[in-house]
Order: sequence, then structure tokens, then C-alpha cells
Amino acid sequence: MPNSITGLPSDVAEADLSAQSVTLRVDRSLYPLTALYAASYIFLDRCFVLLDQPDDAHVRVTLSWKKGEPTEELLRSLVGEFANELLSCAWRAKIAEENKALIEAVTAQAIGAAMGPPSLDDLEKFDFSDEPFEDPLGIAMSWEQKYGKKKGEAAAAAPKDAAKDPPKDAPRDVNEERVP
Amino acid sequence: MTELRLHRRLYRGTAVDEAVKVYAAYAKFELVEEPDYWTVRIEAKSPERERKVRGELANYALGATIKAGKARSQQAAGGGR
Repeated sequence: MPNSITGLPSDVAEADLSAQSVTLRVDRSLYPLTALYAASYIFLDRCFVLLDQPDDAHVRVTLSWKKGEPTEELLRSLVGEFANELLSCAWRAKIAEENKALIEAVTAQAIGAAMGPPSLDDLEKFDFSDEPFEDPLGIAMSWEQKYGKKKGEAAAAAPKDAAKDPPKDAPRDVNEERVP
Repeated sequence: MTELRLHRRLYRGTAVDEAVKVYAAYAKFELVEEPDYWTVRIEAKSPERERKVRGELANYALGATIKAGKARSQQAAGGGR
């Protein structure tokens, strides 16, 4: 006859000493099926694991002792460890899901890099006329392109500059003759 | 005789078939398909042996289901064989 387990809600877990088993009721909205499978797989060598789906929202996990007659304490320990493992697997599944795009991008880059440099045929077919990428902040521009004087400005400024004396802090020509 | 009922949404049919083949030497099996379950009737020399075969069969079917990637395809397939 099923009994509640100390420390666990009676509607979630119950032990059946005569059947040497413990049953856990798992909410599907909290624990995805992938996590349930992963946790069950870890326990296959320790006990008999049976999954059932009494309704669409829940999965019932029955863990049966393999050898000998277990005490209630052993069954409590077994179901507690399973619940912890299930939580861990659910969390890992969530992390994997959130980072799926990143993992795929890194994997694609790694595979792309492993393919080696492009061949001459590939380069010949490549369209170099396309803009490589958008650069709204002008980060890829050279200093001259960004801040240098335009051609017209440079030509207009050249005669004036030549007439003026060089500024005091301008570097001196080392070959200039020194007047004693 | 003991009975093992494996839900079709959680266990792959090919995995159940594979498990029955593996444990065929240890007991007699009868397979029955129900709308929601794969049902396996097990008959062995003793109740204790039936319990053990039942447990091992369920473990094997679950392991084979997981390995076959049931976790990925279950929601889309809706429990097909």
C-alpha cells in the first residue's frame, strides 16, 4: 500500500514498500521530457525505471529497487536523488536551449575554418564588388579618408601655408644649416 | 503472469520490440498494441523472475528509446512507432 514519504509532498511522491518501489509525479510544464529522459537514463543501472503518462500535464516515474528489500529511508533517498538529478537536467536543458544559436554559430565557424582557405576557383567566382559590411560609424575607414583634407581644400591651402613661417613647435629639418 | 504497460508517447515501439528480443530467452512474451500503450505480457518460472524480467525489459526499452532520439522527435511525432 502506498505511503507518503517524510519530507516530500504526498501528492508528488509516495513509497510502496510491498512493491519495493517509489513513485514520483512530475509536472511537464516544469520539467521538459528531455530532462526526464536524461535523469532516468542516469538511474537505469541503480533501479528499474518506469515512465507513465496519466494525463497530458504529468508524467509518473516509478523507481523499483533491483535487489533485496529496501527500507523506507533507502526509498526516500532514491527518490530524493532522482528529484535532484531531474532538476539539474532541466536546468542544463534550459541553458542549452538559450545558447542554441550561439553554439550553432561557433560550431559553424569552427567547421568553416576547418575547411581551409578558398581555392583559386572559389576566389575567381567571388564577387568583390559587394560592400563587405555596413560601417555606419566609419570604423573601417583610414585616418586620411576620415579626417584628411579634401583635394580642393589641400590645393587652396598650399600657397598660403608656404608663405607663412613654420610654427615654433614644428620639427626642424636636421639638414638645415646652423648659423653661428 | 505479469503485465508491463509502456506509454506510446514515452516509449518507441521499435525499442520495445528490441527489448523483447533481447530478453526472449528468459521468459515468454506476448505483445499487445493498445491505443495509448504498448502492452507486454510476461510469463516466467516464478513471480520473482517475472518481476526482474519486467524491470529489465522496461529499462532496456527506455534506454533504447532515449538513444534513438525519442526526446527530440516525441512532441512532433505524437507517439508514432
